[in-house]
Amino acid sequence: MIDTPTLENPLRSGLRLGRTPEPCTMVIFGATGDLTSRKLVPALYNLTRERRIPGGFSVVGFARRDWSDDFFRQTMLEGVNDNSRSGKVDGPLWESFAAGMSYHQSNFDDSDGYASLRERLDVIDQERGTGGNRVFYLATPPESYPVIIRQLGAHGLNVSPNGGWTRIIIEKPFGHDLDSARDLNAQVLSVFHEDQVYRIDHYLGKETVQNLMVFRFANGIFEPIWNRSQIDHVQITVSETVGVEDRGGYYDQSGAMRDMIQNHMMQLLTLTAMEAPVAYDANSVRDEKVKVLRAVRPIAPADVARYTVRGQYGPGNMGGSPAVGYRTGRGINPESQTETFVALKLFVDNWRWAGVPFYLRTGKRLPRRASEISVQFKTAPHLLFADSPTNDIEPNVLSIKIQPDEGITLKVSSKVPGQGQIRPVTMDFRYGTTFGVASPEAYERLLLDCMLGDGTLFTRRDEVEASWSLITPIHQGWAAGPRQEFPNYEAGDWGPASADEFMARDGRAWRRV
Amino acid sequence: MTTDIVTIERDLQELWKNNTAEAAAAGHSTTRALTLNLLARASSADEADAMGAVIQELTASHPCRAVVLIDQPATGEPQLEAWVQANCLLPAPGAPQVCGEQITISSRGGRAGQVASLMLPLLVPDLPVVLWMAGDQPFGHRLLGKLRGVLDRLIVDSAGFADPIRDLVTMAAFDAGDTPGPGAGPDSPALSDLNWARLTPWRELTAQFFDTRPFLPHLHRLDHVEIDYVAAGDGGLLRALMLAGWLASSLGWDLVDGGVSRAGEEISLRMVRPGVGAASGDTRPVTISLRPAPFDNNALVGLSALHMRAVDHVLADFSVEHTDSPTCARTVAQADGHPTVSRLARVERAGAADLLAAELRLLSRDRTFSAALQAAAGFARGIIVP
Ligand SMILES: NC(=O)c1ccc[n+]([C@@H]2O[C@H](COP(=O)([O-])OP(=O)(O)OC[C@H]3O[C@@H](n4cnc5c(N)ncnc54)[C@H](OP(=O)(O)O)[C@@H]3O)[C@@H](O)[C@H]2O)c1
Repeated sequence: MIDTPTLENPLRSGLRLGRTPEPCTMVIFGATGDLTSRKLVPALYNLTRERRIPGGFSVVGFARRDWSDDFFRQTMLEGVNDNSRSGKVDGPLWESFAAGMSYHQSNFDDSDGYASLRERLDVIDQERGTGGNRVFYLATPPESYPVIIRQLGAHGLNVSPNGGWTRIIIEKPFGHDLDSARDLNAQVLSVFHEDQVYRIDHYLGKETVQNLMVFRFANGIFEPIWNRSQIDHVQITVSETVGVEDRGGYYDQSGAMRDMIQNHMMQLLTLTAMEAPVAYDANSVRDEKVKVLRAVRPIAPADVARYTVRGQYGPGNMGGSPAVGYRTGRGINPESQTETFVALKLFVDNWRWAGVPFYLRTGKRLPRRASEISVQFKTAPHLLFADSPTNDIEPNVLSIKIQPDEGITLKVSSKVPGQGQIRPVTMDFRYGTTFGVASPEAYERLLLDCMLGDGTLFTRRDEVEASWSLITPIHQGWAAGPRQEFPNYEAGDWGPASADEFMARDGRAWRRV
Repeated sequence: MTTDIVTIERDLQELWKNNTAEAAAAGHSTTRALTLNLLARASSADEADAMGAVIQELTASHPCRAVVLIDQPATGEPQLEAWVQANCLLPAPGAPQVCGEQITISSRGGRAGQVASLMLPLLVPDLPVVLWMAGDQPFGHRLLGKLRGVLDRLIVDSAGFADPIRDLVTMAAFDAGDTPGPGAGPDSPALSDLNWARLTPWRELTAQFFDTRPFLPHLHRLDHVEIDYVAAGDGGLLRALMLAGWLASSLGWDLVDGGVSRAGEEISLRMVRPGVGAASGDTRPVTISLRPAPFDNNALVGLSALHMRAVDHVLADFSVEHTDSPTCARTVAQADGHPTVSRLARVERAGAADLLAAELRLLSRDRTFSAALQAAAGFARGIIVP
């Protein structure tokens, strides 16, 4: 071999796109499933299309069904044509991409399947120049994670031959309570090192969520008011119009708390409350996020009635047409106690946030799809305009909208022209880099980051556990409490009446999103 | 038809009032978003229409205050006219409509000073000021002198230069700040050439070979480069020269004295590079050949192939070549002891709005471009004075 004068690629400097990853093979466990054809392969194709992935990149689909390589490629082609944001594929480009795709049939617990996988990966390294670099993607039911991880370890697939790298991506859900999350972490980490492990929360792959950090830390004017002396409270809402559709079986075991709060909404809370990281790198960012989670005051099982509200939708109307109730869905227990709506009141017990409530609210079959964080400031200290006809001047509210339409609204008070009256007006502005251009799918960003070895937008071990340690006591409190009178809200309403009372008790109200 | 600032500003206000009312009637709200001042200079009404269409398209990524100048100093009686319009995107359902605004100024028989006096007060404070000049090389234009100190970026397109080789040298001198011409000098604006922007996919594909660890060492051992360019058509030769300039400036290759030779459309550059390994401290020869290729509709942005080879000691060969597909190039990397890696990659035909948007994303001088341009101008000088 020839000696390397430098490890930097001098042709990279000044190029607008970042470095591309080393060629690698991605092994997708559960490749015949829904996620693979709907999200993963379309994301990989789009990355290829945008020249973000180098030549040699290969995909091995691993699942039980008896599929041929050709059938796998054909099925994925249909998946991409139906789901890709760039529309139908460019024929020759697809052919070139698909030449690197193959299917490996095996049961997850079949040791021989991993022995032959190992051989196959070696052949791909030889033929396609993937240099021993591998990503294992667990797109399977969560029950299968342990057996796959064990088998990968048993066959030495947790380390790469000849100096390459091996990483593993684990889909959500990561555990269903604190103990199971700890167990799973222990199993994963008995085979892989933490820096090989990429736990996906696709919310973090959304550009709008990343922009939240940019907004906070690139605009110095907010820092001095981003604390308990100026802020009255924070509301975080993620409302969905959809019901559970055909995921009833899964959802009935999980509920809104596990499906939304434990991962996505905790991310929004930490990004809102965190201190500025010392650097924008994986560990600095995640260190700060974990600090927030550790500072959140746990809701003890005995306190759930005070700090939480649950709901489940019954029949109602959505956008003018009748909608069925949750319990009539396929795979759902007709007596189900699973919550499709949750509201929580949390406190972050640190210097910045002491005494400032964070209200979280999420639900299915709500009237509007929206995700937003709204920061409600304290009212002006002294009512200077007390004799104006409306003397209760409304407080300033800063709302950061994440979905469906990204932007910021600041509500301020202004004088009505020609009168003494003061009324609220909103100032709208957008802060994304685009004003109508489709942004990349979350999975594109996350898959690329993993191939580049950047874990910033993935969840670290301590982060998952810290989050579960807040969620599990609530589940325990709920389980110990009385049965709920479900359903308690109609599809198409903003959740149960108790959610409004919950806020009214604190002299506050939910924002209309 | 209005000509003074007060009227233009009143017309703008009126425009937004109507625009807001119309949007409200259509059931959505409208947001005026301005991310920069984009001055565009056209030499005819047709050119101004074309530039206006590009600016409208640009609203998706860079809604702006655009001031389009139709500059016809040699035409007719002195006359100055101006009109305003909003550039709006179709609103997404439930989202406010985003609009920028455009002021068009038609100037006949006038002087640059007069036009600039109208443009300067129309600039929105605190936003970058970018001047886009289409057509022939603009480096002697009076407008540049009048906008001196105000302009953050000048955008040109060398594909439209009338005397490409000489104009390339002029452009490099402007960028280096060492010409006495208007607008040049130490406080000259950052320069962008859309013709250079067209090379971005080629540069990406070239750089990408060497993101792969086993290939990186060969980058410093290259000794032969061939660039096949489409000689017919606009800007192909300049793109080839800039691509060569980029490789040379990035890799520390120097032209040897009298190293440029030209035979018809074929240009050969003799260079030296730093030696590596046992030859470290020494220099090694490198040749770059720019070869004309027959016109081909599928040639991607006027280039049909780039070959880079190292033959000394260990063989390595990297190539990007156009294919039968109008959107794809084939990249092939070969090196002794490593499997050959070959694939198709998309090379999009970027429109003017895409190219402009990419340049507008740059906040400071594009140092890579400046270095490549200086190297390319060195080659061009060798062509002019054999
Ligand atoms: N779908 C989504 O939109 C979505 C969104 C977020 C997260 N996720 C997560 O992503 C993961 C996958 O979801 P999905 O919807 O794609 O699941 P899915 O459609 O149920 O697919 C499951 C896959 O696992 C394979 N499989 C199951 N047991 C196996 C065994 N014993 N041996 C070999 N293969 C076996 C199946 O192969 P065969 O069919 O060949 O048996 C199939 O390919 C889950 O963890 C889910 O929570 C999914």
